[in-house]
Amino acid sequence: MALSRDVYCALEDIVGPRYISEDPAVMDSYAYQWLAETVRPNQSKFMPRPEAALLPGNTKEVQAIVKICNKYKIRFKAYSTGWYFYGAPFSEGVIQLDMRRLDRVLEIDEKNMFAVIEPYAIAGVVQAEVMKRGLNCTVTGAGASCSTLVGATCYHGSGGTSIYTGELRENLLGAEWVMPNGEVLRTGSLGSGCGWFCAEGPGPSMRGIVRGALGARGGMGVYTKCAVKLSPWPGPAEYPIEGTVPAYRSPMPSNFRAYTVAFKDWDSLFESYYRIYDNEIAYYAHRQWTMLGADLGPAFWMLYQDPTKSLDDIEEFVRKREVRQVTDEMRYSYQLVLVGMSQRDIEYKEKVLEQILKETGGWKVKKWLEPEMEQFSLLYLLRLGKKNLNFVYTGGWIGNYMQSGTPDFVNKYEPLAEDTTEKFQATGLMVDCGSDSMMGCVGSIAGGGQCGLEQFGFYDVADKKSTAAAIEWMKYCIKEEAKHNIPPGKEGMYLAVGKTHEELQRDLAKQPATHTWQRKIKEAFDPNNLGDRLYPTLDER
Amino acid sequence: MALEDYRDDCTDCSRCSYCKWIPLDHIKSARFARACPSIEYCGFQAYSLGGRLSVGLSLLEGRISYNDELKNIVWECQLDGACDVSDKICRYNIRGLEAMREMRFKLVEDGQTLPRHRPYIDSLHKEKNMMMEPKTKRGKWAERLDIKDLTREKAAVVFHAGCRYSYDKKLQKKARTTVTLLRDAGVDIGIMGENESCCGGRAYQWGYRKELDAFARKNARPWTDAGVKTVVTPCAECYHTFKRLYPEIGFTFEVVHVVEYMDRLIKRGKMKLTRSVPLTVTYHDPCHLGRLGEPYVPWQGTREKIYGQIPVWKPSRPRYTGARGVYDAPRNVLKIIPGLTLVEMERTKEYAWCCGAGGGVLEAYPDFAAWTAAQRLTEARATSAEAIVSACPWCERNFADTAKGQDEKIKVYDVVDLVQMAL
Repeated sequence: MALSRDVYCALEDIVGPRYISEDPAVMDSYAYQWLAETVRPNQSKFMPRPEAALLPGNTKEVQAIVKICNKYKIRFKAYSTGWYFYGAPFSEGVIQLDMRRLDRVLEIDEKNMFAVIEPYAIAGVVQAEVMKRGLNCTVTGAGASCSTLVGATCYHGSGGTSIYTGELRENLLGAEWVMPNGEVLRTGSLGSGCGWFCAEGPGPSMRGIVRGALGARGGMGVYTKCAVKLSPWPGPAEYPIEGTVPAYRSPMPSNFRAYTVAFKDWDSLFESYYRIYDNEIAYYAHRQWTMLGADLGPAFWMLYQDPTKSLDDIEEFVRKREVRQVTDEMRYSYQLVLVGMSQRDIEYKEKVLEQILKETGGWKVKKWLEPEMEQFSLLYLLRLGKKNLNFVYTGGWIGNYMQSGTPDFVNKYEPLAEDTTEKFQATGLMVDCGSDSMMGCVGSIAGGGQCGLEQFGFYDVADKKSTAAAIEWMKYCIKEEAKHNIPPGKEGMYLAVGKTHEELQRDLAKQPATHTWQRKIKEAFDPNNLGDRLYPTLDER
Repeated sequence: MALEDYRDDCTDCSRCSYCKWIPLDHIKSARFARACPSIEYCGFQAYSLGGRLSVGLSLLEGRISYNDELKNIVWECQLDGACDVSDKICRYNIRGLEAMREMRFKLVEDGQTLPRHRPYIDSLHKEKNMMMEPKTKRGKWAERLDIKDLTREKAAVVFHAGCRYSYDKKLQKKARTTVTLLRDAGVDIGIMGENESCCGGRAYQWGYRKELDAFARKNARPWTDAGVKTVVTPCAECYHTFKRLYPEIGFTFEVVHVVEYMDRLIKRGKMKLTRSVPLTVTYHDPCHLGRLGEPYVPWQGTREKIYGQIPVWKPSRPRYTGARGVYDAPRNVLKIIPGLTLVEMERTKEYAWCCGAGGGVLEAYPDFAAWTAAQRLTEARATSAEAIVSACPWCERNFADTAKGQDEKIKVYDVVDLVQMAL
């Protein structure tokens, strides 16, 4: 269904001919998505092809486009960096707004510690700019290549430093929102003309409305600007980089420490989470290295340091005595970065950590104390510029579980996550990297108190049997979770695409009223229903 | 190889956008964080490495057919490899740059060529150069130069000027200077003169695969006959062709760029730079000398899966990450020049921004080539340097032409110019 010439010309008038296309090849570059293969017929890598793609250059253009969409009842979907199939059209007849021309860090207010950003300001850029002013931002778990605004407005936006810098949804301050009907709403203090400093007022607080239960992910209008809260950064104005591509590293400032801490079992590990919260010593606290599997991950991280080696050499590394020892040593582990606001502060934090480790029977993993590993670790964790190594095995992974909660709650579902994964790894259709490839924040909100573990399942994206097994794994996990009274995690959203309302009600909505209310909100704000299902709703019936 | 051989590479793209940025660890500012001229200029996702991989998959699946936009997607790109370096930070099994080149081969083999490239390719076939000049004038740059003629004499080293230096009247003098400096430093060096041929590398980048083999033979035979052991070139594109591409088809000579040779001579005390050159300069890493200048590593292997589903190559496939490019030699030479101050741009070495002239862009999309160069000149000026220095005539020509039209002036040099000033 091509756009009528009237509509195309109306859109072209808004952005100019250079910034609109309906060419099939260009459209397929937007339709192509990671994870499309888990939700599309025949495991296609392509989501529905958009009818046109537009690159608006400012809020006024976005607003004009949305108004045309309302006039002609055309669905639209905006994305920032385009990572994740959430950004792509979910049905035919959608136009894609690619926000890459809105890429500025508009303002950094040092005194009040916030930055005003546009959708295509990626976390790596925002961090680089604010570091010069002695500040830091939350880099979402997805890494430095992802949009900071999206984490703040459309999804969770938690990352390794969230325990100190907050989750981005917490950090959202004033925002400029082109609502699905084409009106522009300025939220929080911005709505009262008081500046960007607050999300809740004076002015309209819309956080819950626009986000819904999990974040609307492009299904509820377009954010064109927002302010995010920043945190102190007592480090260098820019990372001094050493090392050979790809294993870049950064020298450790004297007031910084980077550790991999390990424990004898899960109970001790989760007990340490509580103590980290209580003592407020962590700048970064995240379970990161295990995302590549507790059995295989250590070998990969060690080979990655050698620029002459590649994944092709991983078996050789797994066999090394040193690697086997490190693998055993860091089986129940996570990563910590301590940052002192002064030398005395770092000494104090170091002492507290020692005491926590003593009380929980934990230890610092020796390999990661070697200067080069430490420096690699510091840069990796704080910039998160190599996060897509989670694709290195096969080009495809799905994350299951990931329910946020207290450490005790997460500890409860951890064995289930391992059991359900082991069963599928044993078929040979998913990567057997150990049943624990769980990654997640030690503290996903500022101050801690909430954490999560996402179990990665790796499948060969170019192999249909492997992909099919991964899909079955997702479904199996959901069933097992239901049996154990654990609400579904991220996998529920993957399955949301193309699911019937009955299935959604069964699989997703522990309290269907939530999604029924979201439907009412959606009808009010998006009267022509031009957004997609990622703002999850249920029929009233 | 065929595009089908890259199906898995196309399918494996995780759409992460690393290809659009310099390595994320290296980002120091919003202003100079981008890596890919193509998507920055053209805008749409299709004009990035990730986008092109999806277009490749779409072609393989028969979802799209040839049209002018597709040709632009395939050719409006310098193939500078910055995307490939960033992509391989995490996805080093994806052969992104190779897949994009393979798309060009496919289009050319299917008769889908760019009309603007045609005259240059015709010139290559007829006149053996990419400058649309007569073959008979190729040796003119070296007229009355007291240097060995390797069509009649023998020497251990051949100086291959390349098409740009041979025919570009404003640059020819540098070729004369260079070969003279090397001779005066005691190097047993000669030239092929009128019988020098294009290396075939530019045509190969444009999608003309067969030409490479033909020109490799045309160059290598006379070198062998003249007893040549080492090929020295002042052109980064020729360097890449000789160093990386010729060995793939079986031709092996020691290949050295002029800046590497000068670095050696300085270290051995054969060349002394004594005169002060009071300039602050910044060095631009040519793509084909830097990240694309890594030596070829012979390899053959087969694919298998380990740990259930991890596809790997046995034996291990060599990694081309940009790490082993030529970065130190030009900097060593510049740093030893008395009075000269070298300052670095934000994007350097393996993640340097391209000059804009490669991949057939200068010839088919001159505005895009000039825009790309202008971005680099802006970056150079941001360092407070008085001059931008390169080690490739294509970079120099594109910078010089672009700088001419700009209000804020910056000088453009080759490393050889500064060496000559310092002698």
